[in-house]
Amino acid sequence: MSDYTVTGEASRGIRGFWQKRVEDLAVIETILRNRHHFFLEIRDGVGLGEKVQAMLVSSIFFLALYGAVLGSTHSLWQALSSGVKLPLLFLATLIVCSPTLYFFNVLFGSNQSLTQNVALILTAITVTSVLLLSFAPIVVFFLLTTSGYQFFKLMNVAIFAICAIVGVFFLAQGMGIVSSAGKEGAGARRTVMWLWVIVYAFVGSQMAWTLRPFIGAPSMEFELFRQLGGNFYTNIFASIGEILGFFVVR
Amino acid sequence: MAEQRDDRSTTDQILDLLLDALSERQKARIAARQRSASSPPSGVYQVSERAASAPEEPETGPEHEAPTALKRLAAEQRSESSGSAEPAGSAEPAASAEPAARTESTPPVPERRGSPPEKPAGPTPWKAPQAYRRDPGPGEEGWEPPPRLPSINMGRMLGRLAILVAILIILVNIPVNTYGVSLARILPETTSLIIRDGLVLKGGGPEIYMVEDEQLRWISSMDAFEHLGLTWGDVHVVEDSFLKRFKTGRPIHVLLKCGSSPHIYRLENDQKRWIRDIETFEAEGHEWEDVRFVPCQYLRDLPTGPSIPEDAGPPPEP
Repeated sequence: MSDYTVTGEASRGIRGFWQKRVEDLAVIETILRNRHHFFLEIRDGVGLGEKVQAMLVSSIFFLALYGAVLGSTHSLWQALSSGVKLPLLFLATLIVCSPTLYFFNVLFGSNQSLTQNVALILTAITVTSVLLLSFAPIVVFFLLTTSGYQFFKLMNVAIFAICAIVGVFFLAQGMGIVSSAGKEGAGARRTVMWLWVIVYAFVGSQMAWTLRPFIGAPSMEFELFRQLGGNFYTNIFASIGEILGFFVVR
Repeated sequence: MAEQRDDRSTTDQILDLLLDALSERQKARIAARQRSASSPPSGVYQVSERAASAPEEPETGPEHEAPTALKRLAAEQRSESSGSAEPAGSAEPAASAEPAARTESTPPVPERRGSPPEKPAGPTPWKAPQAYRRDPGPGEEGWEPPPRLPSINMGRMLGRLAILVAILIILVNIPVNTYGVSLARILPETTSLIIRDGLVLKGGGPEIYMVEDEQLRWISSMDAFEHLGLTWGDVHVVEDSFLKRFKTGRPIHVLLKCGSSPHIYRLENDQKRWIRDIETFEAEGHEWEDVRFVPCQYLRDLPTGPSIPEDAGPPPEP
């Protein structure tokens, strides 16, 4: 009898856990369909903790899935490794960059808290991650039907760029709404935000280069991290050069 | 002022009047909206009913001078084209006396010549167009967020999409052939091999090569292949033309020796070949690190090939 009770409680616990995760995913709908209300709630500090948690769970989940898709081109180990490293990339970049945005906003008259700033950046990351997930079936399709490593790499860079740009526009809109309470220095804060986006992109690309490989070169063994050397941009230019037939990456 | 107006071209006048008309119409709409918001429930019904019948009906009042002026200008042009000497302001009373129930889609204003003009005829003073006022954007003063959209259960749908992607990831990683290669990696690579020492290549034939110092070194046996710690996952199938880019280096052999015998044998095409002496061993470019110790019985069971050099005589048994 007690076994049944324990089993029942356990199953209820598991069901409750999954129900909570599905509720966390529902934050995506609020962001995509009712974003103005979502940003107003962030401005007013309504349920900030729950929002941050839901966005963290959703973005980690989606980024892990997309990372696993990326790594599947190389090996199962690479898939698992990329599934862990891709969320790590976004969250580490968030941790590195959010204090800069917060303090510069405060400097130019913002009355937002750090949590509100983090919530706004997480909104951008969540939008990026859900868009990446929506691209995942397309990436799997190309994974199965093409064999060009450089093409696959550049395609993913393009997908990341598109999703990140949409995420940045969400961040800009959210920042506009959330910082509307403090009128003083609104223009300067807008400039600060766009400059911060550029810094964030540089930090993110360097972080990605540090945590590479995410896809895994086909002729190389699985590595958790590769030796430092070169940089993200020269590698991308080299890949474009190879795709266009100018030279071969050796 | 009138002279200044006369100097202006007809196109400019029309454009100005159009701008006036637009701004006045916007004013009228805002006023109607405010009236409908402030009127009692019964009035609301009346307003909405009226709006349904005549949503853009111009009303009398100063804010409706511009549409009237437009009509007047049209009348002026008509009169000019017909050559009649109709006064310029003759269309205005007709416009101001229009029935309230006329809809916007009704074409040209019917002229009711019998009714007396309510306003003095004559040119309406030209008014500068008002500056265009855009709606406040998100976060700006006076901005109202759009109404909240109802839920479409996107969380559940996203969960299903995530499960689908997870299933796809598992499926493409399941090994599907005897070499343990999965669907995701079953297509041969066409480009982007990073050429480095230790890269293992295979062309159309059965030979497998390892790249070393920009040279292709043939791996002479499966023993050698395994001795190097390679697996099929390391082998990259390439075009034969790609292999021809490289110079040919020394083959990679496995040298076998058993503990109770002083002789060293080279494994080649799955046959053991006795190496006569140390001088030959070194002349063949072999190194002591390549010698593997195996049981003597294993060596004895291997088929015997020609000795090295071939004139060395019959090979001794290990």
